[in-house]
Amino acid sequence: MTNMKKEKIGFTCAYTPIAMADAAGYIPYRVLPVSEVPDQAGRILHDNLCPHVKRVLDRALENDLPEDLTGMIFMNSCDAMRRLADAWMETRPKDKVIILDLPTTPEKIDISFFAQELSRLSDTLAAWSGSRITAGKILQSIDQYNRIADRIQTLNSFLADGKLKGSGKRLQELINLATSIPFEDSLKLLDDEIIKNKNHPAEMNGIPVFLFGNVMPDPEFFSLIEDCGVQIIGNDFCTSTRMFSQLPCKKEESIFAQLSGHILGKPPCARSFDPSHPGKIADDVVQKAKSLGARGVIGHSLKFCDPYLARLPMVRDTIQGTEIPLLLLEGDCTLRSFGQQKTRIEAFAEMLR
Amino acid sequence: MMKQYFDDLVNGIEAKIKEDPGSMSPRKIYALEVAKIGRRLYGGEERVAWCGVTAPFDLLAAMGITSCFVEFVGAMLASTGMVSEFLAEAEQAGFAGDTCAYHKSVLGAARKNLMPVPDFLIATSCPCTGGLAVMENLARHFKKDLFVLNIPQEETDQSVQYLADQIQDMVRFVSNHTGEPLSEDRFREAIANTNKAREIMVDVYKMAMNLPSPANGRLFGNFGIVVALLLGTQAAVDVATVYRDSFKEMLKNKVSGIPNERYRLLWIQNRIQFKNPLIEILETQYNASIISDELNDITWDPINPDNPYIGLARRAISIPFNGQGRRRIRHLQQMAKDYRIDGAINPCHWGCRQGSGARGLVSKGLGEIGVPVLNLEVDCIDSRNFAQGQLKTRLEAFIEMLDNRSSPWN
Repeated sequence: MTNMKKEKIGFTCAYTPIAMADAAGYIPYRVLPVSEVPDQAGRILHDNLCPHVKRVLDRALENDLPEDLTGMIFMNSCDAMRRLADAWMETRPKDKVIILDLPTTPEKIDISFFAQELSRLSDTLAAWSGSRITAGKILQSIDQYNRIADRIQTLNSFLADGKLKGSGKRLQELINLATSIPFEDSLKLLDDEIIKNKNHPAEMNGIPVFLFGNVMPDPEFFSLIEDCGVQIIGNDFCTSTRMFSQLPCKKEESIFAQLSGHILGKPPCARSFDPSHPGKIADDVVQKAKSLGARGVIGHSLKFCDPYLARLPMVRDTIQGTEIPLLLLEGDCTLRSFGQQKTRIEAFAEMLR
Repeated sequence: MMKQYFDDLVNGIEAKIKEDPGSMSPRKIYALEVAKIGRRLYGGEERVAWCGVTAPFDLLAAMGITSCFVEFVGAMLASTGMVSEFLAEAEQAGFAGDTCAYHKSVLGAARKNLMPVPDFLIATSCPCTGGLAVMENLARHFKKDLFVLNIPQEETDQSVQYLADQIQDMVRFVSNHTGEPLSEDRFREAIANTNKAREIMVDVYKMAMNLPSPANGRLFGNFGIVVALLLGTQAAVDVATVYRDSFKEMLKNKVSGIPNERYRLLWIQNRIQFKNPLIEILETQYNASIISDELNDITWDPINPDNPYIGLARRAISIPFNGQGRRRIRHLQQMAKDYRIDGAINPCHWGCRQGSGARGLVSKGLGEIGVPVLNLEVDCIDSRNFAQGQLKTRLEAFIEMLDNRSSPWN
């Protein structure tokens, strides 16, 4: 394994430019909302705030974090994330923290501003680590990141073809690992997994469905869903494939502008949108489901997530114009209420048969 | 229905003032001007833009656009007692029950054709992501063009320039829709009106700090946030002037906003918009007066008419709901000091992630300077679950607690 003395820099949003943390000599570490610690974030935030954010704060409150986590990069991606950053600084005042502004639209002017934010991040990381971060280093890290994204894409295509052993659960396990270990270790892990699976026979053990939503990092969730009689052939979550999208930066010159353009242009979370095409998220869901040959779509949103909850009616209205049935679920990042959801998913699968 | 409502409101207030000029109060003039905005929005004769809260309303006024943040409609529907039907409509359409009812009511109203079809929409990323989502929904619903202003979180030279450039892009967007360029003369006039109103409002807020205060719980409710809709027009100057003159007169005659002011309270975030007795209970039973709201403040410098876009950008970035919680808390602490506040009330509007999400930190921040906070659990728009008795008990307990502690300012 690679140098284990590297410190970790935490992050909580799929828009985080994690390649820059790698370039600064840190291990980017996604603080996932998965923990056994007690629920107590509501007393600082509010009980009706995003369960993802509350669970992450619960981990901070109970110090359920790696010992070598020395700082956090927060993205100003939504109200809840902004409040998490506030609460984190209050809870762990010794941590190094930076909050990056993240425009909601991918216009030229926004790309230029976000490039300045990336430059600020670079300066901050250099100050934290005590070493200069060159454009060459950043490009190298982006290249590593892209190779990871490529591997994830390959494994995702295995999933679509029913060739991935362990199916959706395994893909989520791998993505969770890839967001918490050094890039080079992720690559090795994913390469090994590709070798193991490339000759695996295609198996379809259920009705093919496409899953979309925001945050669901628990691999068991995907397994439980598939136990209900469906097979996941694609998914689009902040904590899954959307975490790794190609950032095809080519040259050292104007590296921040290139990176900015690719981050703002990547497959969006509901909080980002194209003003010239309002409701595009709904059309994208339909297009992805159709291109994968899904016979049904399952949307899973966290409770209290305004960006998603406010767009789901648009998804529902759009999908009603197709012949693809839709099931919408709400959850809290845990499997506590899966019993209720199971009944609904089973009924959905029954209807699709 | 809404057109009739606003027509009746304007005519009613004007008739009352005509009949009895002595009844003219600052709140009445403010209500009249706000009702006139509603009448223009629903009149069907003017160009209309639905906007986010931090849009530059003065600039839009200079371009001949009647513009308004959509939450205004939610508040109006709540205050008239009509909101339930629109909330139910939105919930039927799939909008989650635990999202912000300001936004849900607007979405319900749009679906029931109660929102005038705008010429275009201008969304702002501040104060909340929920607001942005509503604007995207409305743009799709109305099939109208949408422009987004991304409001940076922090004020730096770069972030101000970024927003100033976006505002200039917005001017081009508006001109493309109206076919008319921005008149430099009208823009200058609007900025002059904004600066004049600003200067007077600074005086008004200073006078409200007086001990006892000429303000009270009704006079100033929603003032800071709604008066922004009038900026750039003579109406803003007129409303600010009538408040200043009234307060001056009250201070001269040693008249306070409520008799025997005992406790001075600060209202955090926004008011409960439907009819409720809480303010009256506070004032009549406990001599406790809401003498300011969190947004009743001027957080921006006068706008330089020779370089207005920079000033407009700084203003939008400066609002207390923007940026890190620490900044908001510093602002609340400063207000508490300036107004010699005994206690603060935070309604914790159900469904407001940006506001209620800071609940614990706001309580702690004000607690550090000795100002206790009463956190209520209220939906400021949706009266269906309003538990008056419980809230009354909470208020009583809060006042009892204030009774047993000394003022932080002695």
